[in-house]
Amino acid sequence: MTRSLLSRLPHWLPFPRRGGGAPIVPEHSVAGRTLLLLITIMSFLSAVTLGGVVLVQKSAIAWSADVGREMTIQIRPVEGEVMDSNLRTAVSLAEATPGVAGARALTIEESQALLEPWLGAGLDLSAIEIPRLVVVQLADPVDADIEQLQRNLQAIKGASLDTHAAWRQQLNTMAGTVVVSGLLVLGLIGVATVLAIIFATRGAMASNREIVDVLHFIGASNKFIAGEFQGRFLSIGLQGGLLGALLAALFFLLIGTAAGSVLPTEATAQVGYVFGSFVLGMDGIIFIALVVPVIAALTAITSRLTVRRYLSEAS
Amino acid sequence: MIDFSDVGLRYGNGPEILSDLTFSIEPGSFHFLTGPSGSGKTSLLRLLLLSLKPSRGKVTMFNEDVGKLDQDSLLQMRRHIGIVFQEFRLLDHLTTFENVALPLRVLGQPESEYRPNVTELLEWVGLGERMHALPTVLSGGEKQRAAIARAVIARPKILLADEPTGNVDPDLSSRLVHLFAELNRTLGMTIILATHELPLLDRFSYPRMVLNKGALTIHD
Repeated sequence: MTRSLLSRLPHWLPFPRRGGGAPIVPEHSVAGRTLLLLITIMSFLSAVTLGGVVLVQKSAIAWSADVGREMTIQIRPVEGEVMDSNLRTAVSLAEATPGVAGARALTIEESQALLEPWLGAGLDLSAIEIPRLVVVQLADPVDADIEQLQRNLQAIKGASLDTHAAWRQQLNTMAGTVVVSGLLVLGLIGVATVLAIIFATRGAMASNREIVDVLHFIGASNKFIAGEFQGRFLSIGLQGGLLGALLAALFFLLIGTAAGSVLPTEATAQVGYVFGSFVLGMDGIIFIALVVPVIAALTAITSRLTVRRYLSEAS
Repeated sequence: MIDFSDVGLRYGNGPEILSDLTFSIEPGSFHFLTGPSGSGKTSLLRLLLLSLKPSRGKVTMFNEDVGKLDQDSLLQMRRHIGIVFQEFRLLDHLTTFENVALPLRVLGQPESEYRPNVTELLEWVGLGERMHALPTVLSGGEKQRAAIARAVIARPKILLADEPTGNVDPDLSSRLVHLFAELNRTLGMTIILATHELPLLDRFSYPRMVLNKGALTIHD
């Protein structure tokens, strides 16, 4: 079925020919079909890598923004201090700070839930004094007077302010590493694509040697011959790029659906932290769509240079 | 139109295939080029087609020293030379019409412009009914007439034919040579037809260029 689909594609994307008439370079050949399959695979890999990079980048920006809008006041148990009173004071101090939208002390149950992943469920922590947290929501992270809050909190024994700066730094570093790695992979896919196109073009030229010879004998210039082959390869590049991009879009659609329905809820949540909700958004779709002209241009330029070199070697 | 002066040709460091060729071909003339297999007929035709450069000597065509021409000028000159091969060398994925129209497409003519000329020529060579057929379904004679039509469609001044009758029966061979003679007579093309079929040569009175072991003699 795939073979049948591929064989029909040239008719969907007819490439304009000089002077009209049938294509001088045959549209259906083993080398052409192989190149089409190869470019489809390379386009798919490029689009998936690019989409992955976009997802991670978007998630990193979202994490950073979320974490940046929140601070935590931690109050350690200190002998002689009343925890509930300290919590109320901390909330009041926080709410009185400019740029703070609200502050809330976590209940004992919420604190226990936070410790559950480390200590296990069902543990009674009422006998142990554990540090308590106040979550501070910022209205505007830029205008918030964090220094004032830090100064004011010195009045509470055992209180410290965590702005999550270290976390944000780590998240940004990790996201940056993923993005750079993705771009590196994209570059390697590009190099592999160029090399594959060079080999496929030389193979196509060798299998069409008779056509090249006849065109030379009837007075065709190398430029004309290269143009005929380039037209064919540009058409293959467009078809391969389009197929690869469509398959990649389908891949993201399926993986998004699968992540929501196949994976357990906890796993979905964890995957969601890294990749967000697998929704590419308009910018992701634009990036994937850009793979089509880039791959087509890469194919056309590479094949043209290869054909010109082949012809100059042949003559 | 064509002047060879002390021309020699060798491939790489091998022996000379053609030696001391000195001759002139007048415009509008018809010559047979003959000689035993391996005598250098095809090499001489390739020199005339400008697809080979002589190892020594001087080749002048259309009053220009071929050795001094750059690639573009050689290409322009080559467009004044048509060639017909023994093995036809038609492109099997193109119809007879498209094969014949190829030289005009190469020259950049639009189909609307060349269609009447190609159709007329195909009818003239007796392939009017076969213009939409692929070469794979044509007979040997039809293929060779299509190849001749392709060689002359752009009205070259010189027409070279390398054993054009090699793959057809004797009766058809004679008719094909008559076709070349007609092109020479009506269009004034200079024709050099290579063949080693001596009985065929005897039926026509054109001058013969005889190659033997790389040396050329011309018999009027």
